[in-house]
Amino acid sequence: MKRLQDQHFYELLNVEFNASPLDVSRAYKEHHELYREDSLASYSFFSKQERKEILAKLQEAYSTLMDEDKRYRYDRLLIERGILLEEMQFQAEHRALRRASPANHFIRNPLLKITDELKALISSNAVIQETLSYEVLSGKDLKRIRKELGISLEVIGEITKIRLIFLRAIEDDAFDIPPSRMFLKSYLKAYAQCIGLDANIVASRYLKRIDEQKLSSPTSHDHADK
Amino acid sequence: MAHIWPIGGGKGGTGKSFLTGNIGIMLARQGFKTLLIDADLGSPNLHTVIGLPYPEKSLSDFFSKRLTDLEDAVLETPIPNLFLISGARNKLDVANLAFEQKKRMLRAISRLDYDYILMDLSAGTSFNTIDFFTLSGSAIFVCCPEPTSIENLYRLILSLYTRRIHHLLKSQAFRDLAEKAESLNPDANVSKPEVLLHVLKEIDPEKAGMIERILQAFQFRLVINQLRKQDKPTIGSLICQIIAKHLCLNMQFMGNVSFDERVHDGLCAKAPFVERYLYSQVTLDLRSVARGIVNGNHEQTENPLSVSQI
Repeated sequence: MKRLQDQHFYELLNVEFNASPLDVSRAYKEHHELYREDSLASYSFFSKQERKEILAKLQEAYSTLMDEDKRYRYDRLLIERGILLEEMQFQAEHRALRRASPANHFIRNPLLKITDELKALISSNAVIQETLSYEVLSGKDLKRIRKELGISLEVIGEITKIRLIFLRAIEDDAFDIPPSRMFLKSYLKAYAQCIGLDANIVASRYLKRIDEQKLSSPTSHDHADK
Repeated sequence: MAHIWPIGGGKGGTGKSFLTGNIGIMLARQGFKTLLIDADLGSPNLHTVIGLPYPEKSLSDFFSKRLTDLEDAVLETPIPNLFLISGARNKLDVANLAFEQKKRMLRAISRLDYDYILMDLSAGTSFNTIDFFTLSGSAIFVCCPEPTSIENLYRLILSLYTRRIHHLLKSQAFRDLAEKAESLNPDANVSKPEVLLHVLKEIDPEKAGMIERILQAFQFRLVINQLRKQDKPTIGSLICQIIAKHLCLNMQFMGNVSFDERVHDGLCAKAPFVERYLYSQVTLDLRSVARGIVNGNHEQTENPLSVSQI
């Protein structure tokens, strides 16, 4: 049995070398529950100092494995020490490659940083360019663009923290689902920004279409303004 | 060959006797020939839990050699298939047994012909209690989801862990070891077996490997008793995680038993709980623990009470 001090971060958190950030954060939560200051389960088992050291090490493991760069450097260190096999490094690189594709890149990049790749994809795609030339945009149009980019609605939901029911409502033109026009507008902007489009243009063209529809049938979509 | 389970738990009042008695009744009702031994030598009361009047003979008759065969101390109970070796008529000085006597008793127990033998042990970490655990290599611990009870549970496990290492090493070597370990870890509130093993590994890797294997062969189970609605039901498995991570011991969580005011009523009526309150949550919980004992048999393949090793 290895002492806690001698365990590497993967052992400490009891996760695989190719664990996803979600796995890591789940494992961290579980371990924190076990060792935190007022944990009943480990009551009296550790001295104050021991507990402090364990918690600090857990914190360090978490922050290292959650940060892609830090984790890469840490993996290199483990390979040098012969703990991590070259094979696993291969997998780690594979993991990095997968992330490089636009959709997955977004999962790793919650800061909504629009990459050059995504922009290039938008400008080179004929279907997207045609759709963007429309005077007004419908939910179907946005859905088409999103499909062309290969980004799932779930990913947008995860990044924007907007509930899927509202994102779906945008694409289904179900204007009565968002609580108000103001909410709809901000959802639209976040959605557009997330898939690399100009937020203001998308929002105004989409809302313009709603307004036009309302003029043609004033009763049916009245509640969209509430 | 009988499956022998000492039942203990560090702190008094956690429900060791209650669980022993009632689980014994359930195993017997399922058709298993079950023997309960009241090994809580200082404060025996198991006979009361299962509703037996004051017994005629008891364990101390075996220690005083008035009865040569332990089987002769076995009492029948009103429940078919359930038998009891009581401690009720123990002499008052019986609580302090010599190590040899404990060995003799365990050897005699291992020769008895039952499907299950449950031993109700006393609270605390006296050698009397600890030796029954270390000698039999298996245990069901009963613990309440309270700091006091958990504290005593850890203390018990650490004590028997250390005592086991003590047994395995020559006492002189052990003293050096303990001193080294303590100098390495002065802040620890209990002497840390984690550190003990680590130090030992540096001094004598072969011995350390052997000790580690023997310690891992311990078959421990945990039952959380008196779980109230506001308590976290996960506490038992968390405790097992701590034990596995830091002591490298094999301890399995067997389940929670709910708190019920009527346990008190049942005891006052001197009637076994599971017979009196057949459809209570506590009875359901106990049934699931009993099922765990029966289903877990295949894991207890090697006789934990390997008398040759004693």
